[in-house]
Amino acid sequence: MQYLIQLLISGLAIGAIYGLIAMAFAVIYKSTGLVNFAQGEMTMIVAYVAWTISTTISGNVFVVAFGAIMAAILLGLVIERVVMRPMLGEPVFSTVMVTIGLAVILRSSINFIWDAYPHALDLGVGRGIVRIGAIGVRTGQIAVISTLLLLLAGIWAFFRYSKFGVAMRAVAADDRTALLMGISAARVHGFAWAASSAIAGIAGVFFAMSYDLSPAMFQLGLKAFPATILGGLDAVLGSGLGGLLIGITENLAGGYVSSGMKEVAGFLMIIIVLMIRPFGIFGERDIERV
Amino acid sequence: MRTGDFKQTYGELVALTDSPPVWLWSAVLLLALFLAPYILNAYALSFLIIILITVVGALGLNILTGYTGLISLGHVGFLVTGAYAYAVAVSKYGLPPIAGFVAAGVVPAIASLVVGAPSLRLKGLYLAITTLAFSFIINTLILEARWLTNGARGISVPRPTLFGISFDSDAAFTYLCLGFALLALFATLNIRRSRVGRALVAIRDNDTAARVMGINLHTYKLLAFVTSAFITGLAGALYGIYLSFVSVEGFPFLLSIEALAILIVGGLGSALGAVLGTILIVLLPEATRLVFNLFSAQMDAMLTTGAQELKSMLYGLVIILFLRFQPRGLVGAWHDIRRFWVHWPLRY
Repeated sequence: MQYLIQLLISGLAIGAIYGLIAMAFAVIYKSTGLVNFAQGEMTMIVAYVAWTISTTISGNVFVVAFGAIMAAILLGLVIERVVMRPMLGEPVFSTVMVTIGLAVILRSSINFIWDAYPHALDLGVGRGIVRIGAIGVRTGQIAVISTLLLLLAGIWAFFRYSKFGVAMRAVAADDRTALLMGISAARVHGFAWAASSAIAGIAGVFFAMSYDLSPAMFQLGLKAFPATILGGLDAVLGSGLGGLLIGITENLAGGYVSSGMKEVAGFLMIIIVLMIRPFGIFGERDIERV
Repeated sequence: MRTGDFKQTYGELVALTDSPPVWLWSAVLLLALFLAPYILNAYALSFLIIILITVVGALGLNILTGYTGLISLGHVGFLVTGAYAYAVAVSKYGLPPIAGFVAAGVVPAIASLVVGAPSLRLKGLYLAITTLAFSFIINTLILEARWLTNGARGISVPRPTLFGISFDSDAAFTYLCLGFALLALFATLNIRRSRVGRALVAIRDNDTAARVMGINLHTYKLLAFVTSAFITGLAGALYGIYLSFVSVEGFPFLLSIEALAILIVGGLGSALGAVLGTILIVLLPEATRLVFNLFSAQMDAMLTTGAQELKSMLYGLVIILFLRFQPRGLVGAWHDIRRFWVHWPLRY
């Protein structure tokens, strides 16, 4: 029983990281209609920047967090302006392939800018253990789960109530009509990339704090795919919850079946889910007009 | 003077080419390829072999992504299945190489039915991610099924002897690869101009309209998957034989990206494009190395340490630049040049 609860808790913690990255996917999909295959790589780069800040400037948690989020926003804006904006209006296949190209470039740039060895991002927090009955929970795990829940609530409120959130939904629904209503699609896209990069960056820093920093970290993006597909590509909240579900499934499969199963549990799960609901659990059904 | 391109029968319209010079130059190219193993040194020959093997794989993906418009991010899954099917059949069970090649085609084709079936309900990006999932699941299956595949240790594969001819030397192996490349090329060209090929292209251009015209989407999408996996599996077997060792690490995920890069660089949906794209992508790292070499030996040293990273970076850069500046690929550029050559000084 205790083993099960321990598995569930660590599943929720890693699931919260997947959930954050999946939300980042969904934010971009919701406003630009494309899947950003470079999300995992952007997560990794932000985590490396955070590590550089912690070793060169200051190891203070707030300094590192602030610096990492600023770097993430900058990264998102630069990518949107330099790489994605010129592709505006091209078919989805082309733009998605551009993000794949971008992913490959960012992934190999790690080895040129930093190095190929694993590093620990130690900020002096998150490693303490809180005991609830017989079960120990790391403070880092609590922090990442609560961050996910806070961001979920915040983003839900943003899309529901704020003027810019409504504008983003309008661009997602029909960018041409949105333009006629006086919404700048370019600004919406830029904002979406910055926000998604920041959310993914937070996930990257959390991951690096509890595990280690290595050039293989981009695989977080691949792991988060099942989460966002499960929730539905266009459902920001669904993606966040999908992440938790995938994290738990993965950990249970790893704990009770085999470590090989742990790697592919999420992928097996989405294949089954997509057979039944081709647009994810919370995704909107695509109605085609002939 | 030729005033235009007039076709009077349907046969003329779907002919491979109506121009004698194209046949002539193709024959010259073929002759050159036959003489190449005698002329080229071992280093250049290795590039020729890689190009010929990669052409087979690229043509396989072209049927699925180029003709039918179904994006596959997991084609390396079929490649590795084909390689393992050959290795298990020949090295493990001692079957003749011919049976190995049949297995290398048939096993991925059956696997493709497993991926193809859910894909019938999926579209676009959801399909791309499902194929991605497939390639990871295949890797895990291979690693877990130790009784059949030796798990992570891999299987060593000898060069085959077919019809009493030994393909042991690199020169002889080039001919084997050349044979497979030609077969794959003619197979895809002929599929494209047949009833099946037209149905596939109709699905790519507008699947709703294709369905209204009486094309059975399920049958033809599955057919595209099976054909594509069959050809790709053969490429996998050839690659395994060339490496003389089959393991999961020998087929990294980057190969899927490389295949898509080849199609984009060459020009989507064109067999000629797949060939041109392959040549460019395979030779690109080497060409870059030569250019850097001219500048300084120091840069060359940096390249040898980060060769793999530089290679993948180049793929990424080439994909982005082509999509942005020449979306029709090398084939599009070639058509523009040809039109300019024929019509000069007129614009068109």
